[in-house]
Amino acid sequence: MGGEDERNDAKAVGGGAERASQKERELAAALARYVDRSSREEEVDIDEFCKGIPELAKELGPLLESLQGMDGPDSSFPSEPAREATEELPDKLSGHKILGEIGAGGMGRVLLGLDERLGRKVAIKTLNRRYRDNESVRTRFMQEARALAQISHPNIVRIFSLGQPEETPHFVMELVEGSSLVEAARALTLRQKAELLQKVALAVDFLHAHQILHRDLKPTNILVGVDLEPKILDFGLAQHMESDSTRVTHPGEIMGTPDYFSPEHTVPGSQFDPRSDVFSLGTILYEVLTGSLPFHAESFGEQVRRIREELPILPRRRNPEVPGELQDVCLKALEKKPENRYASAKEMADDLERFLAGEKVHAAPTAYASLIAGKIEQHIEELEVQEPVEILSEYEFDGFLKTYGRLIEREDAWILEARRLTLPQVTLYLGAWILTVGAALLFLFQFPHLRGKVSVALIAGVAGMTIWSGLRIWRRSQLRIGIAFLLTFCLLLPIVLLLAMIVYRIAGVPSPHKEWELLANVPTPFRSVTNAQLWWAILLTLPVCAWLRRFTHSSVFSLMIAVMGVALSLATLLRLGWLEFAKDNPGWFYFRILPVAMIFFVAAFAVERLRFPNDSRYFYPIAVVLTLLAMTGLAAQHHPYQEWLERNLPWTRGQLEYLFIANAGIYFTLQAICDRFPSSQMRAVAKAFRFVIPGHILTSLLFLWFNAYVQWQDNLEDLAKKREARILEYLLPAVACLFIFGSIRKQMKNFFVSGMVFLAAGIVMWQFDLFEKESRWPIFLLILGALLMVVATRYSTIKMAVARMVRRRA
Amino acid sequence: MDGQTSTYELVERFKKGDTGAFSLVFQKYQRRLAVLVHYKMSAELHGKIEVDDILQEVFLAAAQDMKHFTYQSPGSLLAWLSRIADHVIVDAARYQNRGKRRAEEMLRFRSESNPTGPEPVDSETPSRLFAREETMQILLKRLDALPAEYREMIVLAKFEGLTTKEISERVGKPRESVALLLHRALRRFRELEATSG
Repeated sequence: MGGEDERNDAKAVGGGAERASQKERELAAALARYVDRSSREEEVDIDEFCKGIPELAKELGPLLESLQGMDGPDSSFPSEPAREATEELPDKLSGHKILGEIGAGGMGRVLLGLDERLGRKVAIKTLNRRYRDNESVRTRFMQEARALAQISHPNIVRIFSLGQPEETPHFVMELVEGSSLVEAARALTLRQKAELLQKVALAVDFLHAHQILHRDLKPTNILVGVDLEPKILDFGLAQHMESDSTRVTHPGEIMGTPDYFSPEHTVPGSQFDPRSDVFSLGTILYEVLTGSLPFHAESFGEQVRRIREELPILPRRRNPEVPGELQDVCLKALEKKPENRYASAKEMADDLERFLAGEKVHAAPTAYASLIAGKIEQHIEELEVQEPVEILSEYEFDGFLKTYGRLIEREDAWILEARRLTLPQVTLYLGAWILTVGAALLFLFQFPHLRGKVSVALIAGVAGMTIWSGLRIWRRSQLRIGIAFLLTFCLLLPIVLLLAMIVYRIAGVPSPHKEWELLANVPTPFRSVTNAQLWWAILLTLPVCAWLRRFTHSSVFSLMIAVMGVALSLATLLRLGWLEFAKDNPGWFYFRILPVAMIFFVAAFAVERLRFPNDSRYFYPIAVVLTLLAMTGLAAQHHPYQEWLERNLPWTRGQLEYLFIANAGIYFTLQAICDRFPSSQMRAVAKAFRFVIPGHILTSLLFLWFNAYVQWQDNLEDLAKKREARILEYLLPAVACLFIFGSIRKQMKNFFVSGMVFLAAGIVMWQFDLFEKESRWPIFLLILGALLMVVATRYSTIKMAVARMVRRRA
Repeated sequence: MDGQTSTYELVERFKKGDTGAFSLVFQKYQRRLAVLVHYKMSAELHGKIEVDDILQEVFLAAAQDMKHFTYQSPGSLLAWLSRIADHVIVDAARYQNRGKRRAEEMLRFRSESNPTGPEPVDSETPSRLFAREETMQILLKRLDALPAEYREMIVLAKFEGLTTKEISERVGKPRESVALLLHRALRRFRELEATSG
């Protein structure tokens, strides 16, 4: 068509009705009548219509035919569904005598044939007459048969032969006698059902391995014979053997039933992959286990919505007999996101096999977390309201948050699983540990038959194997096992590096200060290692741990990083001459640990602020332990510290106990600082510091009193000692009471308990020193105790009375 | 209408559980719907989704929802199917971005856990083949060759099954102009048929 024509057309259209001739108007009106009729009625016969307008018929007729022709060659209803049924059964196909029809579907029929020579009955699938002239459908039909004929699996229907080109398109296949999977499963035990599904999953995996995606897996496509062997039928092009189907399964004979669709299946034009078939297997498992479909709905739209968005009702809720393990397998296969499902039908089959073997399945469906997540969030909000009004103690609140946090965390299902001590789990880690110890021996000692490079090659080979299998197992989403391999690798790697460095003499020269070296001067059965080698081995392992943390998203590797970090810090200290201090001035030795602790605090806080609280939780405890270690070491061994105290508070005489009390003061400051941080982990750190305070102070007071008392008893004339002993005698119970009542604010139970214990100690002290042989003392204690109990019983009454008195005074 | 079954009867039969009846309804309307869907889809969507996929969804949805459909005339069925098609297309467009992302995330058929697995063979369904059918392609080519206004008339009258009154309401033109336009459109279509043989 030329451009000019188009412009003319446009003009004609714009000019519209005015410029039309009378004749044209009449034609248009008649056409309009025809269009109106045909859009309200069934077929309008053109000839008949034209008879009504003889003068226009000649011109209008061809136009109407064109209009009708747009419907294509066979637009009118094929006369009755008898289309195929009335089609005569052929006498013979591929030399098989045709005995009858087994079933009919849209694509064609399935006939019952008899191979007279072999005496074998077969099923013959024929292509509907409608499609016989359609070259591409025909080609597909034959291709499907050829693809199927090339595979042979006991649980997949077998193809015997392909029809000759001159015959009606057909292929001959194994005749499967049995009932549909769901019907067959009704009478079976749960175990048999699982076995059945495992076989089906393996067969589907076999199909996948042969480039065939089934895409229409459903119970009616899986027949189960009396031997309980399932057979999968029906690939690619739908062919329907089932004669009766109460469910709406094949509306336009083209579509599969949406009941077994995967979420991606409901999106037009989206890609299929093996995991779509896994979803269908999950649906079938669900139906077999519970007797109902996971996502069935009356309307299609609702059904699609359910498949895409809704979690299925838990199988155990529908049938309490379903074991939790099978439910997990089922939910894992029914994950909405393909990446959360089993990566292949084989994995699903493996998990079913595990269930059958009585082992733990690997499935950790996200469904539970999603099911409770909403409720948990709501509850946390409620708790947040309750905490300030003290319905809930801070301690309980933190406990709830921690537990809930674990529940919501997606990966925690398998981590919890990994933490549980089961026989395979214990064996797994025992193996990992023995492997590591063996490698460590190989590195620590020299063996005459495993010299140098041989031992390096051996140990590197082992490490390589662990990382390779670890990654492989992890990718197969057997997370619990994969992590053990990867962790082992993290431990093996520094050993490999060290050994390689020793053998190839890298950084092998000890530092000029011989006494700084930790392992360089050991006697012969040991290998000598320089500090530099240690340092490099650990440093090079760190990025690997970090990478594994990234790769697995598992915070266990943060623990590994934290441990390696400590080791690296210590190795750094070694290179800076740490060991020398240990001999001459242990105080400085401990002092060196303080900056390491600080670094860990800063690192932990930074990591937590960067929103990786799972990682930081391993750094904080290490920082706390290092701080306590360093401070204790300082108090015990550090002379400058002692001198400083003595100079500023001469009456302490720089005694060890006062140093510990000073430490407690430092811890108190630290906990006060930590409590100000808006982070629950910092608050936990504060709690850890608080925890050690009463022990430090009260024990020190007790020792101080004991020292002073003993010295006074040695020299009764020493009144200074007597005064000191007396002061401490009164101080200890007073401080104990302080801790008892101080426990209220932060709910510190250890304050309460230590206070109680040391109060008793103080009372005994008084008995020795002040009230020896005084019967008033125990009587007083009895009365005081009883009085306190009575006051506590009538606490509110007394409180009100006191309040009233105070008001009256005012 | 001898030997033929009315749409009404088929719809009723389908509601009673005769699944074969739907196949017949499907056959009757699939071509018209394919053309409709073809013109309803945005150019952007065309590059990404096949008409057949939409068509398949439409029929699947129709089969499920047929119980709630009340038959008035063949036109009402077509109008109903057309509305479902609108939904499906909107839905598909909305899912397109998500689908893109998903396609990247998807394991290829050959994966670590299945290293021997070759690339998958995608089996085709008959409806997929349907839109590639030659006569269909010819029809679309001819319709595409028409000026937009002519094409619209034919699509509305023939494929959407509207009466001239409904068309005039839809496009905001007097009924007479609609009839004239339709007549000219058909004449041009007829010419195209004649020239291309």
